[in-house]
Amino acid sequence: MEYSGNYVEDVRIVEVEAIGEGSVIIEGFPDVGLVGTIAASFLTDKLQMKEVGYIESDALPPIISVRNGKVLDLVRLYSRDNIVVLLSEIPIPLPIIKPLSQKIIDWAISKKAKMIVSLTGMPEPARLNIDIPKVYVLGSNEKVSQNALSIDGVEAFTDGYITGVKGMILRESIKRDFDALLILSQAHFNYPDPGSAAEILRYLSKLLSISIDVKPLLESAEELKLRLRDLMRRTSQAMQDVQKSRELELPAVYL
Amino acid sequence: MSYRRSLWKIMLDEFKRVEQELRNLEEEFYMRVKGLEAMRGCITPLYNVYESGDELIITADMPGTNKEEIDLTVGEDYLKIEAPCRSPARRIREGKYMLHVRFPVEIDPETVRARYKDGVLEVVAKKKIKGVKIKVE
Repeated sequence: MEYSGNYVEDVRIVEVEAIGEGSVIIEGFPDVGLVGTIAASFLTDKLQMKEVGYIESDALPPIISVRNGKVLDLVRLYSRDNIVVLLSEIPIPLPIIKPLSQKIIDWAISKKAKMIVSLTGMPEPARLNIDIPKVYVLGSNEKVSQNALSIDGVEAFTDGYITGVKGMILRESIKRDFDALLILSQAHFNYPDPGSAAEILRYLSKLLSISIDVKPLLESAEELKLRLRDLMRRTSQAMQDVQKSRELELPAVYL
Repeated sequence: MSYRRSLWKIMLDEFKRVEQELRNLEEEFYMRVKGLEAMRGCITPLYNVYESGDELIITADMPGTNKEEIDLTVGEDYLKIEAPCRSPARRIREGKYMLHVRFPVEIDPETVRARYKDGVLEVVAKKKIKGVKIKVE
């Protein structure tokens, strides 16, 4: 879609119902294996979260989603008990990745949010040989990292690239001295991976001290994979735009 | 200065035009895939083809089938997959997976091995070695 406006000004976070202060914001926009999207959607369903707002921008495609006769926005906010989830039915278009990340952090700071948590997959070419994917964490500061690593069975993400909206949210958080945590789980690069999402949810339940039974997610894994095929196809294309394949590489280090 | 600006504008317009054309092509690709699927009542699985050392590896995401029902044919430069696809939740047949892939290199069909795990089919084949070994001095 051709667009020549000011993207930062155009991104708007609209609260249909007021969201209280002090929440943990969980971001599950589509990318590697749709891991973040699957995990965040499952969370909204299991915690019976309520749709409380949406994100709009002139740079988003002119599409509405209709479910059970109800018109939905493409990028939505859900909330319950001091947890806010950001979900999108489309991959975030390249031109608004940076402005959207900035806007989310602006908004999180204005809401005095405790932390923003991004969920994502870590591309693993040998995923078929892995029964239980490993979970990695990367915090925006030492305090967040140490707290995240205090939970058993998780490792620090030490070297690599993080592209797209997840990387930009973390970068913006570091710049603004805001607490952010990236949780990654080994996943298929461009096949929906509910197994990987389940590992993230297991970790998240310990981190946030909430009870999440991932058994229903694993039982409906094949059904989910079928339903998410089209979103995965479009997300694969969007991942090319942000050079997502770089996440399979190690940074060039000279010193 | 104004010459520079107009040159810059021409370049920017050209970038935008190319970007728009790429997006149109992308959209056309999705339309074709969905159109073909609707017409033939089949599903094109998501798939990857990549080379690893002396092997060619093809994976296809095919949830809702089982290994006994996967009809896999492999030639020196192609692979054909057909398999029924059922919705596990509704227990109804959603359609049929169909995939025809042409390889970037020739393989030896005698070396092909395949497995189906967690809804993903993986086919591994040895590449045909052409040429002669040269000793480096």
